[in-house]
Amino acid sequence: MNASKAIGKTLVASPERKLEADADMAVVRQVQAGDVAAFDRLIVKYRERVLGIVYNMTSNREDAADLAQDAFIKAFQSIHRFQGQSSFFTWLYRIVVNSTLSHLRKNRLRSFFSLESIREDDPVSRELVDALTDRTGAGREAFVRELQEKLNDAMQKLSINHRTVVTLFEIDGLSHQEIAEVMDCSIGTVRSRLHYAKQLLQAELQPYLR
Amino acid sequence: MIEDPKRKVTVEDLLRLKRAERPPQEFWERFESEIRAKQLAAIVIRRPWWDGASRIFAVALRNRVPFGAAAAFALTWAGVHYAGGPAAPARSAPGPVARAGASAAQVSSPVGQGREDAENAAPGTAAREAARSPGPVVAQIASHLAEAPPASKAQAAKGTQFAEGVAADLVDFRGTDPDLARRDVFGSDREFEASFASVHQPPAEPLASMDPSGERLERLLVPALPSDSSSGAALLGAYRIKQKASYDRMYESLDRYGAGGMSLEFRF
Repeated sequence: MNASKAIGKTLVASPERKLEADADMAVVRQVQAGDVAAFDRLIVKYRERVLGIVYNMTSNREDAADLAQDAFIKAFQSIHRFQGQSSFFTWLYRIVVNSTLSHLRKNRLRSFFSLESIREDDPVSRELVDALTDRTGAGREAFVRELQEKLNDAMQKLSINHRTVVTLFEIDGLSHQEIAEVMDCSIGTVRSRLHYAKQLLQAELQPYLR
Repeated sequence: MIEDPKRKVTVEDLLRLKRAERPPQEFWERFESEIRAKQLAAIVIRRPWWDGASRIFAVALRNRVPFGAAAAFALTWAGVHYAGGPAAPARSAPGPVARAGASAAQVSSPVGQGREDAENAAPGTAAREAARSPGPVVAQIASHLAEAPPASKAQAAKGTQFAEGVAADLVDFRGTDPDLARRDVFGSDREFEASFASVHQPPAEPLASMDPSGERLERLLVPALPSDSSSGAALLGAYRIKQKASYDRMYESLDRYGAGGMSLEFRF
């Protein structure tokens, strides 16, 4: 599934989300009944989104890959305890976010970043880069790289909780309610963190804003 | 989506750019093989026992406020119930006293009386007596032991090792000085203080109420006491023996812990 389509799905109304949750629940029931291979369908469905969350929180693609795999394994090991009180998506996200937060807290002093390249085959990103610069060729690539690093620096200057909220809302497209469920806090806290984080990001990225 | 290239660029637009940071296709192939290996390992390898414990701790950590409140309440209750309150020592006293009473009863019971009778009857009686009597408990037990007939040795052999040793020592001691053996020489420091207080309650002489802590003071005090007050001299003699026993115990314990000068070493 394309990542942008997956992100778009998170923004749709609740009936479609409910259908998706029901489909996930059916697969979960199969896994709980002993069909281990059925879990692969869940991995393929959610791996890009899971990796995206972890990557944008850690800014390290190697750590992101390891943490995403570990989160899936944790979900696999604990799936017999999943009762369906929340959607599988929310449950999986909670595992992912908690694992990543735990990793970030353990390695607070270690800051080694390795970034993925921005793929300009995505029309949204291409149009955005067009809007930011009129350069072409190598100059354009250098500008994109510089912007990417600046964005990454600005994200890393946020606290772990603020970065998580920004990642889940702005990049992964979750609603305030869903973020509150995933992070086990109130909606007001989510809004407050988001507002504060955007203010900081705006100050950091001022040269790129028009 | 940005329709007009000249329109205002916001933070949200810049953050949307991060959505386009995606790994290449070969990354997913490696990802899939690695996760399959980890999945297989998770199926095959058993999870360690502390994994469950860590999950319990995680639950406790998540609900730390109610858990903390419950722990604080339990600690407070335990503190009030077992340590605090004026009635607590009176309630907790019969336990060890009853055990001591049982030992004493085993030693002092007549030969004809069965051991089971002593075990069944003595603890309750001793505990009740201990609760009623205001005087030092161990003094009563010691005097009770002193009055035990010599034939009780045979009965004591059946008792515990502690009671056996006490009985043997007591019989020997009574042979050397029967008068002192009736007194509470064998009390611990706490009982000694209590018995000492009881000794000093009716001071017959002003000099007798003084604390003869040194040998010189003691030597000076003994001739100064009235000659007809034989009870005062006897009390002072008993006190000297008790004090010596207390000092001996103190030095013995100091020697055991190896306290000397500025150093402290423990020997086991």
